Amino acid sequence: MTSAMRAVAGTLHVAVALLAIGALASLSIHTRVAHSASPADPAKVIRQVFPAAETGFDPAGAQDLYSGTIEQAVFETLLTYDYLARPSKLVPLTAEALPQITDQGRTYTLTIRKGIFFADDPAFKGRKRELVAADFAYSLKRLVDPKLRSPWAWLVQGKIVGLDALAEAARKSGRFDYDAPVAGLATPDRYTLVIHLTHTDYNLPYILAHEPTSAVAREIIDTYADESGRAMANPVGTGPYRLKEWVRGTRIVLDANPDYRGFTWDFTSDDPADQVLIAQMKGKRMPQIGRVVVSIIEEDQARLLAFKNDEVDLMDLGGVLAPNVMDGDRLRPEFAARGIKLSRIIDPAIIYTYWNLQDPVVGGLSKDKIALRRAMAMAYDVDEEIRVVRNGQAIEAQYPIPPGVVGFDPGYRSPVHYDPALANELLDYYGYRRGADGWRALPDGKPLTVRYASRPDSLGRQQDELWKKALDRIGIRMEVQKDRFPEMLKAERQCKLMMRTASWIADYPDADNFMQLLYGPNTGQNNNACARIPAYDRLYEQSIRMPDSPARDRLYHDMTRLIEVYAPWRLGVLTYRNMLVQPRVLGYRKHPILHNEWKYIDVSARDPRQ
Amino acid sequence: MATDTAAIAGAPRPAQRDIPHTVSPGLWTLAWRRLRADKVGMVSLAIVLAFIVMMILSGLGLIASDWQREVGVNYAPPTFLGPEAPATPAPEAVVPRTAAPAGSNYQSKIVDPIGDVIASLKAGKVPGGPLPPETAEEKSVDPLADVMSEIRADKQVEAKAEHRVRLATLPFGGDKWGRDVLKKTIKGSETSIFVGIASAVVATFIGTLLGALAGYYGAKVDDFLNWFYSVFSSMPPLLLILAVAAVLQHKGIVTIILILGLTGWTGVFRLIRAEYLKHKAREYVQAADAIGASNARRMFVHIFPNVSHVVLVQLSILVVGFIKAEVILSFLGFGVPVDVVSWGSMLNEAQNELILGKWWQLVAAGTAMALLVTAFSIFTDSLRDALDPRLKGRTGA
Amino acid sequence: MGAYIFRRLWQMIPTMLGVVLLVFFLFNWVGGDPAYVLAGKISNQEQIDNIRRQLGIDQPYYIQLGIFVKQIVTGNFGASWSTNERVSHILITRLGPSLTILVPLLILDTLISIALALAVAYVRGSLTDRLVMIVCTVGLSVSILVYIIVFQYVFAYKLGWFPVQGWGDGFWHNLVVYASLPILIGLVVSIAPDLRLFRTFILDEINQDYVRTGRAKGVSENRVMWVHVLRNASIPIITNLMSSLPGLLLGSFLIERFFSIPGIGREVILAVERSDFPVIKAITVYVAFATILTNLLADLTYKAVDPRVQLK
Repeated sequence: MTSAMRAVAGTLHVAVALLAIGALASLSIHTRVAHSASPADPAKVIRQVFPAAETGFDPAGAQDLYSGTIEQAVFETLLTYDYLARPSKLVPLTAEALPQITDQGRTYTLTIRKGIFFADDPAFKGRKRELVAADFAYSLKRLVDPKLRSPWAWLVQGKIVGLDALAEAARKSGRFDYDAPVAGLATPDRYTLVIHLTHTDYNLPYILAHEPTSAVAREIIDTYADESGRAMANPVGTGPYRLKEWVRGTRIVLDANPDYRGFTWDFTSDDPADQVLIAQMKGKRMPQIGRVVVSIIEEDQARLLAFKNDEVDLMDLGGVLAPNVMDGDRLRPEFAARGIKLSRIIDPAIIYTYWNLQDPVVGGLSKDKIALRRAMAMAYDVDEEIRVVRNGQAIEAQYPIPPGVVGFDPGYRSPVHYDPALANELLDYYGYRRGADGWRALPDGKPLTVRYASRPDSLGRQQDELWKKALDRIGIRMEVQKDRFPEMLKAERQCKLMMRTASWIADYPDADNFMQLLYGPNTGQNNNACARIPAYDRLYEQSIRMPDSPARDRLYHDMTRLIEVYAPWRLGVLTYRNMLVQPRVLGYRKHPILHNEWKYIDVSARDPRQ
Repeated sequence: MATDTAAIAGAPRPAQRDIPHTVSPGLWTLAWRRLRADKVGMVSLAIVLAFIVMMILSGLGLIASDWQREVGVNYAPPTFLGPEAPATPAPEAVVPRTAAPAGSNYQSKIVDPIGDVIASLKAGKVPGGPLPPETAEEKSVDPLADVMSEIRADKQVEAKAEHRVRLATLPFGGDKWGRDVLKKTIKGSETSIFVGIASAVVATFIGTLLGALAGYYGAKVDDFLNWFYSVFSSMPPLLLILAVAAVLQHKGIVTIILILGLTGWTGVFRLIRAEYLKHKAREYVQAADAIGASNARRMFVHIFPNVSHVVLVQLSILVVGFIKAEVILSFLGFGVPVDVVSWGSMLNEAQNELILGKWWQLVAAGTAMALLVTAFSIFTDSLRDALDPRLKGRTGA
Repeated sequence: MGAYIFRRLWQMIPTMLGVVLLVFFLFNWVGGDPAYVLAGKISNQEQIDNIRRQLGIDQPYYIQLGIFVKQIVTGNFGASWSTNERVSHILITRLGPSLTILVPLLILDTLISIALALAVAYVRGSLTDRLVMIVCTVGLSVSILVYIIVFQYVFAYKLGWFPVQGWGDGFWHNLVVYASLPILIGLVVSIAPDLRLFRTFILDEINQDYVRTGRAKGVSENRVMWVHVLRNASIPIITNLMSSLPGLLLGSFLIERFFSIPGIGREVILAVERSDFPVIKAITVYVAFATILTNLLADLTYKAVDPRVQLK
């Protein structure tokens, strides 16, 4: 195509897009444009893709990442994270300032900014509805309402004075009394919220930045709630966007909330790579994006082709597609030449393979069982996983706390290495002898077969292959156990699986979120290794009473050693998250904890390619 | 006819050998003659037989038994394309250096309960202290000592083999692990054809047995089996498959055969039931009744040979259908286990390879399957024409 | 006729009861406890019990079965366990996109298959006939998964004739823009077997006496083929198409997933993955009902068009 033709085609394209957007926009906001406070431009559209379906948009009701991503655009929490600061730094969002912490980390006082309003909704009967402290108290109470069966109850359960008693009363009476006073959730005046905790917990501020604790208005819930007390389809919050259109599992359209107060883009960073975007964005009134269109595309091929065809602006690349787009840690030349940008972080998540310590074959803390698990851990070739399964988009995890999470130690090197020869010798030494068929038996002569559980998808199958190869190397017979996820999770919680590869993504960027995974009393909850290692439990109980400090880091080091020595886990990899960004998007940088960045970015009116 | 004389004479001589011989040889001989005259049919039969020979050879471990060996580089291209230009080596990935926690240089004092053993083994020494009895025995008069040292020697050979130079190209390319796609396709044909035939046998068996019972006994038995049939055929096939898969858990190839067999018998049932209804009233069955043949005998010794051509054609149609269905089962995550390869598992692996420009696995498995299924379908048509010349020129659904 | 319809409808009841029992047995008794997934990343036994109580899966089986039967009778299957969306709303909203693909597919497939089948039946036995049949057999032998992957890559991406995926608001927009490639793939997959089948039906008619009589009476060959043969062959063709519709509704899940079409097949896969029992129950019952009903309608059409057909 000649450049003239391209220009004509481009103009046509833009014109058609504008017409379409204009037609749609005029339907919805024709009455509001007049008093719009938000600087968002309805012509600025950002299109993002999700690889899996959302469930719904009630902060207390939905638990998946993709629903959370939408919730974070519609609702607001008390606190949030600075857009550019790394490691992640808490900043106030609807609060005036970070909480005042008193009483050795047991009392948190927050003041809510005056003049923040919920988006208009018929449930407010035409009145402007201001955000007040009681809204947060109400929203936190909802998390423990038995009727809601919220997946986020654990964020507040057993922590806030008087809240558990209220939930218990509701379980007995069948009705949760939202009007009953809770000592731990005091609202001395319209804008002040005082939270009293039952014990010291320095992680509360992170929880107040997590979207399940967003403020919802009671009128909205009362109007739209279903039998289980959730309003999954009618999100109304104080955030920058409103749900405009929702075709479940396929398309979610958000429009700028015209009543959103807006803010001025003013973030700083020491990272030289950020200086360009700072220069582009500094001083702009935000949000600029007037419309967010999210498509859900499950199949990898379709997702990448959609991005390449410019049907999508923002996409999480994922490991499977990486070889097509990436050349090591950068974009392949053909993508870079098109002006496509890459924002790359290491996920604040760990992937690990656990052995069930209560299992009669692989569990137990006797030396021969420890040797068995450590031999399996040594037989696993993490490099191969990185190269073949992750397509180079991962690095070996050295420490159970991932980067970007408080408590991470970049200098730590794990002594667990790929060494099948040593693994074999270790098994020989502890009497796991090979039979005539070449497979090893248990020291008492009973047959040894390890069952590896995985999901029936392509990643699951590749993990099966890797572990099968690993255990073949040391003469251990392996079977694969396939199940749908709900069934597998049930068996896991009941300590009925033998080994599985699991992952854990940070709910909040503190080490505690990871170290609790092996705490004995969490067996049946999220301690999926069903580990009860007395030394570990003692250290963990000390650690939760401490704020982030060198002393706490030392405890984490000791706990890490215990994981290496008793081998309830084989730490796997840390994966990269590669966000692909079309050239027209300005100011984008992937945040490790925040799910979306829409209110911080802009699009250039013209495509820079033309 | 011999049967008639025997029946009329009331001779005690058993008639079971006579009936099939007098009724069916004509049918089968004629059919074979007709089939031989059908050139296309014979060519497709030859292709099908070639695949079956391949399946047997591979099943005996004579060919492609080393398909799991990673002989090539990852995604080695086919030889006729030549090797890929070496990619620029990826720069070493580095964990971003955020501020190290203050406790970073701390030396943990946690005691490793088997640390002494590991240290000794690493140093190449047999660790001191009390050895477990087995190891001590092995040192002295272990009857398995030879075997063990052989295994060790093998292990070292293997370990060496693993570090062997990997080929840059393979005859028809390599998969993501560097395994030979051609060998995988051959080994995959073993699984796919076996799954196709075995599940077709299961489905045909269930369908024929139930169809025979329903058609032969009629009345209450027929009502019940017909109800059973309509329940199964009213269930959406996709949900039936997913449900049966969940019920059977996942135990390997047998599961796949059962999933397909238990959900695919309804068509056979309908046809066989109709055939039995028709034949039940025929003279030869009445004659068998007269000589006092039992119900089971009449059903399977007398009637069955006369409907066996229908069964055979149905079996053949099902084989084709099930080979294709295995691909979909793999897509749904209920495919073959990891140490087994099938065309379905290959196609599903290849799903994301086309966009990477690695088309060979998709083409290899897709073509092999298309070739076999085409040959099998044409053969099925020829078989039907040969067995029932009135249907000549028709083709199956 | 009336008595026949009445008897057939009456016979549906035991079949539906069987389907209900089978669904209940397969999905409820053998597995599908979603409580652990719904309870969130960190949960205790008390929460699990609470969820099981809320969903009613802690009840004895006979009570759950009773509730299921009541749901079928009232047509109210409650709400999805994972999204809380009303099941009736799920069915209504997902049916549209599925039908947007299926109805045009079925119409085009029928027209093209019939036309081609007539053409090859007319020259039956010729080289063309055999060639077309062999092409059909080859086309049939390629897995639908391969068709989808290759067509999406070539026609949507490499050639850019269609969008890679997506779904919009307007019916016409969807039909023209987003549904075209899925329909094309559907045609490639379905014409081959249908052409083979319809050719058989037509050949059956061509060999009938009335055709010979017609020719003997000097009716033109065109008229014989297009009017007489087609009219009679259309009966098995129509009934065949009708009875294939319910199966297709779920069978198109592969196309719906690859092209991100919010249809009912994709919903089923999602529901099974999530152990979303209310959705599974409703879809199974409705599809089973539709299957039985279309079978009845097919038989009735048969009877109406051809009085020789005996209804038993």
